Amino acid sequence: MPALRSLRSLTLAFLAAFLIAVALTGFATHRAMQRAIVDLVDKRIAAISDDILRDSPPGDARAIAAHIASVSRERDTGDIGMMLSDARGRRLAGNVRLTRPLPRGYATLASSDRIAGLSAGRALVRDAGGGLTLTTIAETEPIDKEGVARGRPYLFGFGAIVAIVVIGVVLFVSLVSRRIGEVRETARAIIDGDMQRRLPVDPAGGAFAEQAATFNRMLDRIAGLMAEISNVSNDIAHDMRTPLARLRGRLALIARRPEAARLHDEIAEAIAQCDALLAMFAATLRIAEVEGGDRRAGFASLDLGALVAEFGEMMAPVAAETGHRLVIGRCDPARVSGDRQLLSQALMNLVENALRHTPAGATITLDVADTGNEAALTVRDDGPGIPVAERARALRRFGRLEPSRNRAGHGLGLPLADAVARLHRGALTLGDAAPGLIVTIRLPLDRA
Amino acid sequence: MNLLLVEDDEGYAATLAEELRALDHQVTIAPTGGAALQIADREPFDAAIIDRLLPQMDGTAVLRRLRESGKMLPVVMLSALGRSAEKVEGLEAGADDYVVKPTPAAELDARLKALLRGRQWTAGGGGDTIRVRDITVSPARFRAWRGERPLDLVRLELNLLAELARNAGTVLTRAMLIERVWGYDFEPTTNIVDVQIRALRRKLMADGEDDPIVTVRGVGYMLRD
Repeated sequence: MPALRSLRSLTLAFLAAFLIAVALTGFATHRAMQRAIVDLVDKRIAAISDDILRDSPPGDARAIAAHIASVSRERDTGDIGMMLSDARGRRLAGNVRLTRPLPRGYATLASSDRIAGLSAGRALVRDAGGGLTLTTIAETEPIDKEGVARGRPYLFGFGAIVAIVVIGVVLFVSLVSRRIGEVRETARAIIDGDMQRRLPVDPAGGAFAEQAATFNRMLDRIAGLMAEISNVSNDIAHDMRTPLARLRGRLALIARRPEAARLHDEIAEAIAQCDALLAMFAATLRIAEVEGGDRRAGFASLDLGALVAEFGEMMAPVAAETGHRLVIGRCDPARVSGDRQLLSQALMNLVENALRHTPAGATITLDVADTGNEAALTVRDDGPGIPVAERARALRRFGRLEPSRNRAGHGLGLPLADAVARLHRGALTLGDAAPGLIVTIRLPLDRA
Repeated sequence: MNLLLVEDDEGYAATLAEELRALDHQVTIAPTGGAALQIADREPFDAAIIDRLLPQMDGTAVLRRLRESGKMLPVVMLSALGRSAEKVEGLEAGADDYVVKPTPAAELDARLKALLRGRQWTAGGGGDTIRVRDITVSPARFRAWRGERPLDLVRLELNLLAELARNAGTVLTRAMLIERVWGYDFEPTTNIVDVQIRALRRKLMADGEDDPIVTVRGVGYMLRD
C-alpha cells in the first residue's frame, strides 16, 4: 500500500501514542495500588504500636515486652514483627531481629534485610520512652511473589485492551484503504476509457455510501458532457463534410464538361484544395477519436522495433523520390502494448513532416531503443529544425510555423503524433539534433 | 450497374448520383431507410450504397433488414465518421466495404466493380495460390514466379502482387491498396503506392518481359488478366 503513506504514519502515530498512554496508565495504576497498600500497612503498624505503647507505661521494658508477646500470640496480629531496643540499640524483646539500624519514622524493608519470612515490608520506629525504641514491622507482600501475581492481571487486562484497539485500528484502516482503492480503481478505468464504470454504493447508507453516490453522479455528468461533445463532433462531421463533398463533386462534374477543357488545370487545383480541406477535417476528427481514449480497447502487444524497421524499408524509396536519404538506425526489439495502425500513422506523419521541411539531400534517421523501462522511438533529420521558442506552438493544432504556411500539409501531423503518444501512455518531445530536429516518442514497455 | 443510393442529404445525393451516372451507372436515390427497403423489394439492384447516418433508421439497421430479407447484393457503406469501431460495426452488419464520406465517385466506382467481380473485402485475403497469365503467387508460401523465374520480393511487394492478382482485370484504387495491402486506416500524403508499384514492376520485368500492371490514370492500378 505505498500510496497510503500518510494514512499509515497517522495510524502508527496513533498506535504509538495509545501504547504509551496505556503503558503510563498501567504503570500509574500499579504504583497507586502499591502506594495504597503501603498506606494501609503503615496505618496498621501505627495502630498496633499505638496499642502497645498506650497500654504500657513509658520506659517500662517489661510491660512493653509482655504486650509484644501477647500481640504476637493473637491470630490477627501474629504476622507482625516487633522489636524493643534500648538506647544503645541492643535488642531487649520481640520476635524479629534487625540487621541494620533504622531511623525514627517509617522505612521500607526488603528481602535484603534478611528478616525471616519477609520479602517486602514496612517498619515504624518510635520512641517508647526511657530511651527505649519500639519497631513495628508488617509485610506489604504477605504471599511471596504476590507482586508478580498482582502484575499479571495488569498484563492481561491492558494487553487485551491493546490487542483489541490494534485489531480495531487495523480493521478500520483496511476498510478505509479498501474504499480509497475502489475509488482509485474506478477512476483509473474511467481514464482508460471505460465510461460505464461506477462505484458500488452500500444501500445501508453512511458517509462512504454518500461519497460513492456523489462520485457516481459526477461520472454521470462527465459521461453526459462527453456524449454532448461527441454529438457536436458527429454533427460537425456530418454537416460540414457533406457540403464540402458536394462542392468537390460539383467541381468534378464541371471538369468533365467539354467547355471546361481549357480550364482543366485550374479546376484540378480547386479540387486539390477541396481535398486538402477534407484531409484537414479527417485529421481533426482522427485526433478527437484518439484523444477520446476508446481505441485503447483494441491495444495488442507488438514489437515497436520491427514495426519501425519495416516502415523504414518501405519508406526509403519514397524518400529517395525527393532526394532524401532515409536511414534505419538501431531498432531494438521492444514490446509495447498499442495500436499498430495509430503508431504507423504517427510515424508516417513524422517522416512526412521531415520530408516536407528538409531540403533535398537531407538525411532522416529512424531509431528504436529499449532503455530498460521504456521504448524510445526517434525520428531525426539534419534540416533546419525548429527553434526552441516555437516548439510548443508546433505541437498545437494548426500551430503552423511561419515559413511553412504556404506548403502542403495541414499542420496536424505533430499534434496527432503527440495525441497517439499520449494514448499509448507515453510522451512526445521535440529536441535539437544539432543540426536538425529530433522527435522522440517514449512509450512504456509491455511487461506482460 | 443498377445502383441503389440510400442517402438523406439531397444535395450530396444528387451530386453523387450525377457523378455515378457519368460513369455509366443507373442510380436510384432513396432518402430514408424505409423508402430504400420498399424500393429494394420492387426492383433488383446490382449493388447498394448506404449512408450510415440516416434519419429514423440507422444505415446498419437498413443493411441488416436487407440481408434478413435475403438480399445479398454487394453493399458499400458510406459514413461521415471515420472511427475504426464504426467501421468494424458496419462490416459486421454485413457491409462488403466501408468508405468515409466524401469519396470521389471514381473511388466508389472502382470498389463497386471489384465487389461485383465476387471479391469480398478481407484483410490480407486468403493464402491460396493465384495464377494470372504467366504470374503465379503463393502468399501462404511467400513465393511468386513469372513464368519459370522465381521473383525475389519483400513481403510488402508480395502482398501487393497477390492483391492485384486476386482482383485481376479490376482497377484497385490507391485507397483500396493502402487499406488491404498496407493495412493502414489513414491516407498518407506521400505516394507510397506509386513507389511500391514501380519497384514491383521493375522486378516483374527484370528479364525483359512486358509490363503486366496497367496504370489507370486518376483511378488506380490493375493487373492484366
